[in-house]
Amino acid sequence: MFNRRRFLAVLLGPAFIFVLALPPGGAFAAELEARAEAFIQSLSVDAVESLTQPDTSREERIKRFRRLFNAHFAVRSIGKFVLGRYWRKASKDEKKEYLSLFEDLMVVSYVDRFQRYAGKNLNILKTRAEKGSAVTVFTEIARAGGAKPVRVLWRIGARGEIIKILDVIVEGASMSQTLRSDFGSIIRRKGGKVSGLLEELRIKTASLKADAGN
Amino acid sequence: MSWHPAHGRHLRVGTLVLAVFLILAGGCATAPDPGDPEAVAEFNKVNDPAEPTNRAIFELNRSLDTAFLKPVATFYRDVIPQFFQDRINDALDNLRSPVIFLNDILQGELDRALATAARFMVNSTVGILGVIDIATEMGMEGHDEDFGQTLAVWGMPEGPYVVLPLFGPSNPRDTVGIVVDFLVDPFNLWASNSNRDFAVFARTGTRAVDLRAIHMEALDSLEKTSLDYYATLRSLYRQRRAEEISNGKGSANLPAPGLGQAPLDDGQPPPGNGIKTTEKASRIR
Repeated sequence: MFNRRRFLAVLLGPAFIFVLALPPGGAFAAELEARAEAFIQSLSVDAVESLTQPDTSREERIKRFRRLFNAHFAVRSIGKFVLGRYWRKASKDEKKEYLSLFEDLMVVSYVDRFQRYAGKNLNILKTRAEKGSAVTVFTEIARAGGAKPVRVLWRIGARGEIIKILDVIVEGASMSQTLRSDFGSIIRRKGGKVSGLLEELRIKTASLKADAGN
Repeated sequence: MSWHPAHGRHLRVGTLVLAVFLILAGGCATAPDPGDPEAVAEFNKVNDPAEPTNRAIFELNRSLDTAFLKPVATFYRDVIPQFFQDRINDALDNLRSPVIFLNDILQGELDRALATAARFMVNSTVGILGVIDIATEMGMEGHDEDFGQTLAVWGMPEGPYVVLPLFGPSNPRDTVGIVVDFLVDPFNLWASNSNRDFAVFARTGTRAVDLRAIHMEALDSLEKTSLDYYATLRSLYRQRRAEEISNGKGSANLPAPGLGQAPLDDGQPPPGNGIKTTEKASRIR
C-alpha cells in the first residue's frame, strides 16, 4: 500500500509539475493570440492610412494620431504604470491632469516617429500568450536601404471586447520602463512631488506642440 | 578612446581624463530616508550612487559632443554618400570580428564563434578587406559581443551606473570589458607593435563618427521628447545591455503595465491579475 502510494506520487508528481508549467489557456490562449495578431495587423494598416498621406498638416496628423493612440493604446494603464508608486500619492486632480498631459506627451512625441515606421513592412514573427489575458506579438519592421530590420515587441492586453497595447519594446528597450525611469527621476528631483512632474510635463508638451516637426 | 596603457606618451591624455574624473568625483546621491522602504527600494533599483558626479560628466560629454562629434557626424551623414558610409561601417564591423570571436568562445557559444569566423574569412577576402559585408548577403548574419557581456555571462554583477568621460554610459563591468577588448584586439596590437598608433586613433575616431551618425536621429528625438535625458539614457543603456547579454531573448519577459495594475480605460476595477511573465525578469542577466 505504502509502496503503491509512493509509486503514484513519483509518477504523478512530475506530471503535475508539467501541467503547472504549461502555457496558460490552451484554446483560449490560441484564440487570444490570433486576435492580438489581427489587432496589430490592422493597427499597421490604420497607421499607414491616417499618417502617411502627403499634404497633411502636422496639426491634422497629430489629431489623427491622437485618435489612433486612444483607440489602440491602454493610455490609462500605461500612464499609471509609468507613474509607479507616485500614483497613490497623487491627488484626484493631479491624476486627472497627469493622464491628460501624459496622453499629450505621447501623442506629440510619437507622431513623427510613428510616421517614420508607418508604411514600412511590418512582419509578424510569432505570438506568445502570457498570464492575465495578455499576449506578446513579436514583429520586425523593415528599414530603408537594406539596413537590418528593427525588432519590435507589442505587449497586448485584452478584457472582453477591449483589446489594447500595454507596452512597445523596440530592440529590447521598453517604452513603459523608460518613461517610468524618466518620470520617476523628475519626481525625485522635485522632492517627491507629483506637482513637480506636472510642471515639467506642461512645459514639455507645450514646446513639442509648438515644434514644427521634422 | 585615445589612450593605450602600454605607451607612456599617451599617459598625458589618461592623466587628463583621470584629473577630470577626480575633480568631478566626490558628489554622491543623497540616500533616501531609511524609514521609507519604498524609497529605499527605488534608490537601490536606480543603482546610481554617484549620480551628481555622473550627471556632471554626462554634461561634459554632452558639450564635447555638441562642439566636436555631432558637427562632424552631421557632416559625415549629410555629405558622404550612403554607399561609402555603408562601406566604412562594414569595414569597421569586420575589424571587430576577432574580438567578437574571442568573446563567443569565452561565452561557450561555439556555433556563434564559427559563424563569426566564417564571416570574417568571407568578408576579409571576397569582401575586399571587409569593405563589403558579403557574408550577410549570403545569409550569414553577424552579431556583436564584447568582454562586458562575457563577464555578465560568467555571472559578474554589473555594479553601479557610471558615466565615463568620452565613452558615456557604463558600469564597472562594462568598463573592464572596454579595456580588455582594447588590449586583446589584434588590430590594436599590430598597430602598437609597429609604431602605427595613428591607425588606432583613426579607427577609433571613425568608429565614433560612424556610430554617432547612425544614432543621430534616435538620440535627437530622445533628447527632444524626454523630461530627464540623463535618466532616460541610463534606463535605455541598462535595457539595451540586458538585451545584448541575453542575445535578444531577455526583453520579451520584462514586466509591463498589466490589467491588474490599472483598468484598460473605463475606470472599472479589473478582473484577474496583471501580466506575470512566465520567466522571471531576474533571469535576464
